[in-house]
Parts: sequence; C-alpha cells; structure tokens
Amino acid sequence: MSKAAFPINDLLRRRLQTGLTLISLTVCVASTLFLLLFSEQVGFGIASVAENTLTIGYWNIFSNFLLFVGILVFAVGAVIISFITFLMMVQRTRDFGLIKAAGCPNSLVLGYFLTELLIVLFLGCVFGVALGFLTDYAVINMSVFQAFQKTANFWYAPLVFVAFFVFGLIFGLKPLENAARLPAITAISPIQYLGLSTESRFKTLSKSQLTLKIASRSLFRRQSATVRMVVFLSTVFILLTVSITGSIIASDTTTSRIEKAVGRNTLLVAHKDMGNQYISLLSKFSGATAKTDFNYLDQNFALSDDVLQGLNDMRGVANFEKRLVYEGRIQEVMNFTFSDSATIPVGAYREANSLIVGIESETIFSEWFMEGRLPENSSFEAVIGDSIAAITFELPLLQSFRMQNATLNIVGVCLDPINNGIVVFVPLEILKNLNNISNPNILFIQFDSSADQSSSILELQKLLAEVNSDLMVFELNETLEKNVGFLEATWSVIMFLPLFSLVAATLCLIGYLVLAIDEQRHEFAVLRAMGAKPKTVLAILAVQSLIVLFSSFVVGISIGVMITLMILMAQPVVTSFAIISIAGWLFAALVGMFCLSLWPAVSFAKKPILKIMS
Amino acid sequence: MPMKMTELIVTTNSLNKGYRLGDAEVEVLKNVKLEVTRGEFVAICGPSGSGKTTLLNLISGIDRPTSGKIIVLSEDLTIQDEDFLADFRCNHVGFVFQSYNLVSTLTVAENVAFPMEWSRKAEEEIEMRVAELLETVGLQHRENHFPGQLSGGEQQRVAFARALANDPELVLADEPTGNLDTKNGQKIKQMMRMLKANGKTVIVATHDPELMQLADWIACLDDGRLVTQSE
Repeated sequence: MSKAAFPINDLLRRRLQTGLTLISLTVCVASTLFLLLFSEQVGFGIASVAENTLTIGYWNIFSNFLLFVGILVFAVGAVIISFITFLMMVQRTRDFGLIKAAGCPNSLVLGYFLTELLIVLFLGCVFGVALGFLTDYAVINMSVFQAFQKTANFWYAPLVFVAFFVFGLIFGLKPLENAARLPAITAISPIQYLGLSTESRFKTLSKSQLTLKIASRSLFRRQSATVRMVVFLSTVFILLTVSITGSIIASDTTTSRIEKAVGRNTLLVAHKDMGNQYISLLSKFSGATAKTDFNYLDQNFALSDDVLQGLNDMRGVANFEKRLVYEGRIQEVMNFTFSDSATIPVGAYREANSLIVGIESETIFSEWFMEGRLPENSSFEAVIGDSIAAITFELPLLQSFRMQNATLNIVGVCLDPINNGIVVFVPLEILKNLNNISNPNILFIQFDSSADQSSSILELQKLLAEVNSDLMVFELNETLEKNVGFLEATWSVIMFLPLFSLVAATLCLIGYLVLAIDEQRHEFAVLRAMGAKPKTVLAILAVQSLIVLFSSFVVGISIGVMITLMILMAQPVVTSFAIISIAGWLFAALVGMFCLSLWPAVSFAKKPILKIMS
Repeated sequence: MPMKMTELIVTTNSLNKGYRLGDAEVEVLKNVKLEVTRGEFVAICGPSGSGKTTLLNLISGIDRPTSGKIIVLSEDLTIQDEDFLADFRCNHVGFVFQSYNLVSTLTVAENVAFPMEWSRKAEEEIEMRVAELLETVGLQHRENHFPGQLSGGEQQRVAFARALANDPELVLADEPTGNLDTKNGQKIKQMMRMLKANGKTVIVATHDPELMQLADWIACLDDGRLVTQSE
C-alpha cells in the first residue's frame, strides 16, 4: 500500500462522507469570503457615501448590525470548520485502531489520515475561494448594489484560505492525536466511536415510546458529536435570529421614524423651484443630489399672506405648518461641565454649513424620534439633526451654537432625513427676526381624513393659481416611499448574509445524520429484521434530527433575541406583523433544514435489510 | 384458524438466490426444495458459505429470492411488500442471530419488549411477558442493564427471549451456539430443548452435533444445493 494511494483510495471509497465534507467546507469558506468581499464593497461602500445617503444615526444602526452579523458569520465559519474536521477525523478512530491492530506503525497511520485531512482541507478551501468570488461577482452586479460598489480586495482570498486551512488542521489534528495515543484494542472498541458511552443513565426516558427512546439514547451515546452539533447549530440560529429579527425590527423602526419625521399624506406647498429643491433635500437620504447654489431667501419664494388666509378659509384642511428654509453657517460654542470640582471643556468652535429650518413647535407635523424636546417659540433654542450633532458637536445637549450673530441653545437631537440630518430646527419667529423676513417659504398641509384627497388637491391648486401661478402642490408620499424603499433594501442586505451559513449548516446536519446512520446501521438492520418497518427507522432518524435541531433552535433563538435587543436601537417598533414574519422566517429555516436533513435517512430506510447489514 | 399438526409451515420450491459481485454472479442457493411441518425441529447443516444463513434469511422474509417460491404459514413471501414482511416477522417469526444483534441503546427488558410494542400489545401484558421470558432465560436480575454490560452468553439468552416475545409459530436460529463457550452453549441448547418440548416449529442452522441430535431431521446444504435430508 503506497503512502499516497491509501488516503486517496480511502477518500474515494467513502464517497458520500468525503463529498459532504468537501461541500460543507466549500460553502463555509465561500460564505466567509463572500461576506468579507461584500462588506468591503457594499457594506462599507454605503458607509463611505454616508454623507450623501442616510443620516449618521441611521448609518450607525446599520453598521452596528453589519459588523455584528459579520463577526457571527465568521464565528459560524470557524465552528463549521472545526465541526466538519472533527467529525471527519473522529469517525476514523476505529479505522485507526484496526490498521494499528493489523501491524501498521503509528506514524504511518497518522500520516495516512493526516494526508486525507490535508487533501480535503486544501480542496475545500480552493473550491470555497472560487465559489466565494463567483457569488460576490454575481451579487455585486445586482442593480440595487451598483451605486455603492468598490473594487474587490483580492487579498481576502489568501487570508480566508490560510485562516480556515489552519483552523481546520488544528481541529482535525486533535482527534487524530487522540486516536494515535490510544492502544489498538481501545481504538477498535465501539466506545471510541463518536464518543460512545453505554452507561445506564437513561431511566427518565424509560416510559417513552420506543422510537423516542432509541433516538434520544443514540444522541446521548454519541454525546461528543451531538454536543458539538448543538453548539454549532445554536451559533447558526443565533446568527439567523440576529440578522432576521434585527433587520426586520430595525427596518420597521427606521421606516416608522422616517414616516413620522416626514409625515404620511403630507402635501408641500411652495414656489415650484423651492418645492423641487426641498424634495431633493429630502431625497438625499436615498442618494439624490440637491442644488448647492440655491438662493432660498429669494423674495419670489415667500408665501404671501393671501395664501395663508386662503388656506385658513379652505374646507377640508386639517392642519398646515409654516416653515422657513434656507442654508447657513453655524458655529459650535464651547461649553464646560463640572465633575469632581474639575472643569471639563465640551466641544470646540467647529463650523459647518447646515440647512436651517424655521418651525413652530405647536403646529409641527413631524413626530421625530428625538432626544430632548422641541424648542419653545420665540426662544433662542434649537433642535438639531443627528448628522450635524455627530459631525459638529461633542455633547450637543450641553452645547449651543451661533448663527447670524445669535446664540441658540440645543434642546434636542432628532432623526430627520432632510439634508441627511445636516439640519437645525429653530423657532420660526427667531429666524424671521434674524433675517428680517415676515413670510415662510414652504407650507405643509394635511387634509381631513374624511375629505376627498384628490378633489381637495384640485381645489388647493386652484386657490394657489389665483394667487401665484408659480406656486405648486407637491405630494411627499412619493419621496417618502423612495426613502423607505432604500432603507428596506439596505436592511435586506443583512437578512441575505446568513444564507450561506444556513446552507453550510444544513449540509453539516446532513453529514451528522449520515454519521448517525453509519453508526447505527447494524442496529437498524436488526430492528428491521425483528419486524420494524422502514418508516420506523425513518422516524428514529427524524426524531434524532429534530431533537438536535430543536434544542439548537431554542438555545440559538433565546441568545439571538437577547443579542438583538442589546444591539438594537432604543424604542424599537415591534409590530405584530413583524413578529409573525420573524417567526415565519425562522420557522421556515427550521422546517427547511429538517426536511433536507432527512434526505440520507429516506434513502437509507428504503434499503434492503441485508444491504444495510453489509 | 386452528391448523392440523401435519400442516406445512414452511415450503420452498425451486428456490434460487444469487448475488452480483462485480461482474460475476454468485449463486448462493440453487433450486432448494424444503418442507417443514408444524412442530418439527429441523437442523440445517453444511460448510461455511453453503447458504445456511441465506436460506434462513429467505424463510424469515429478511431477504428475497432471485426466483422460486417461499410459502411460510400459508403466505407467499415472494409477493409481499416490505411493510407486510415486517409485520410478518414481528408477529410470526422469532429469529436468533449468531452474533446476538441486540439493540445497544435499549436495556435487556426493552430489547425483549420491543417486538411486542410493535405488535401493539397492552403495557401490562408486555411487562408480564418480559418478566416471564427473562425468568425463563435466567436474566431477571439483568433487566435494566444494557447489552454492552452483558457477556456473550447472556446476550444470546436475551436474543432468545426476544425471539420468543410474540410467541411466534416459527423460530429460526442461525448458529445460536457458534459464538459461545461450552457452558453458555449448554444453556442455549437447554432452551432449544424447551422449544422442542413445547412443540414449536424450529429451524436451526448449526454445526453443533448436540443441536443436530435434537433435530427431527437434518437438511444438509452443499454449495447452495440441498444434498441430503436425513432423519
């Protein structure tokens, strides 16, 4: 027997086990490489263009999830590799003992199985790197991601290859070393096979049905492999729970906040140029650009008293809100706090261009998610957007800023998509005085829910045309939909990431069941010979798969939910629909894995008894 | 339906069984004709590889013939599906393997009980029958042990008890003493005598002269052919 021929022949002879191990390794390496490439190209691509899309608050939520899911995917990859190589090698303990018992020197047997491990690891890593690149290429060229993509960093290929190869080698060598240390007589004992133990400690199940009894005891008997499988699947379910629960809840929450900040069924009334500019500012959240040399305070944009009076008199108008919008420069004011009789400076004197919006707190439509409160009318107070708060201020709620020779205290920080959160909201009266302007340049209107929306809009357009033909009505719902759609697409990226891990986990579960069948095949043959029907054997294997899957599911979901709550944003919006869809996705994953894991059991159960015995 | 003592329990006619080994077809049984009537104790002898185990496997419905007929307890086993054969083995045939073949995840009592659970007997009935059988084979003190904790002889006695669990009309034993020492072998032979005394139909494949002496008649297989049938 040549040293090279035995491992290759052995791998070819055990075609199913070798194939499953190779596929699992390939998928595992591919998923990790894909995640790294994808995050680099799209995930952090989104980050790098965050100035043009999202707001910093929203991006922080997204990047936290991306980072956490990334860590989990890598952890799952590591656990998969360790599990696969452990299973691959531990089942060879008996063969190790047999070959030793036949007189083969220890070092030569170790060499045989080490060569097998190296071959499988090498091929798995090579195929995995290739599949990872191919998948990344296919996904990255999908239209939704094209705006953010950067060039792929090819250095990730050797990094993933080496990391997983070394990882697999370490975890695969451990059971081999253990086998090498065992005397041949111990190694060939069934006790060594997958950590078997035949102690009488299963009394609790003695009244249970025969199927459950055999299934549960078999699981306990190969407890070493079972525990590893449960740990591994639990990690996968943690990843699934975090990504599915997190992305659905975060998507719902951020969407709800955007909707509340912009307002549903809100109409914008403004001069056509001003209205278009405002829509562009609102759409910057999803990647649009606004004019930079726009003169907001052009006299033509001012909405006259006639318009306001007309709206007051118009039927069906539930509320309207006046705003004065323009761009200006603001400067952070340094402040001090006191701690243990020491004076600590807060902030500096940073400056920034910002959108400045005059609002009236009592009529404001926006229901912001905010820290702090709304400014009081006619007082020198302001609410600022989350992006400008992050860029220009250190502790915004302890600070103030200067604009147009006035100092305004910051009383709140809000999430508003306008101008990507680079915005300050100041009482309208203050802005009017600072700019010596008496009229707003935009109006928000909401009609009564009982009013016919389209006929009310027609009436409004007529009213405006009578005053100024350049005044127009803009429906904000369309812009809102664009922003919400962009948010949902962004979150769906996170939901998509664990797909690979799920496939790898399913393959590992199939591999585990193949091992379970292999270990129990003689007993199943005996059961069949004694009168068990093929479906009884299938039921025993199904129960084993279900116990492993379900216990992992419970552990994974519990930890996953806790992690999600820890890294999720404050005051998440959890609708009953979200709970149903989360449960649906997780349940679908569980059922899918369970059904696929039964594939080897179904084909095994159909085999004739003597073929099973042989 | 009550049957007469001369009723045929096992009939094989032109029974052939072959296996494919690579390109070669190996004929294990060739044109075997065998008739066993109720209450008979039949020994099948022959050298290793002569087809004894294959013949027992075919009679029990564990395996299917390449051609020919096998009628057991008036059922043509060659035309039945797997589920029927499973029920048939469970309720009408007791099989004792040479290598015991106990289910290692079940205790001694459970190993004896499981064929009765499949035939849906009441729990009390199962408990009573298990106790009775374990007492018969002298292992009542071992009922909660797992097979791995028993000696070979003890395991074979459990296998014997399991084969009798559903009080089968036909008991098949494949070299039941083949793996045992003299002392344990004697215990098994004692049980075979008990079966014969109770009027069970028994077919035993064996090399053991003492077991052959128990037989009403002996069938010898050589190279897959039934060469002699002697009283």
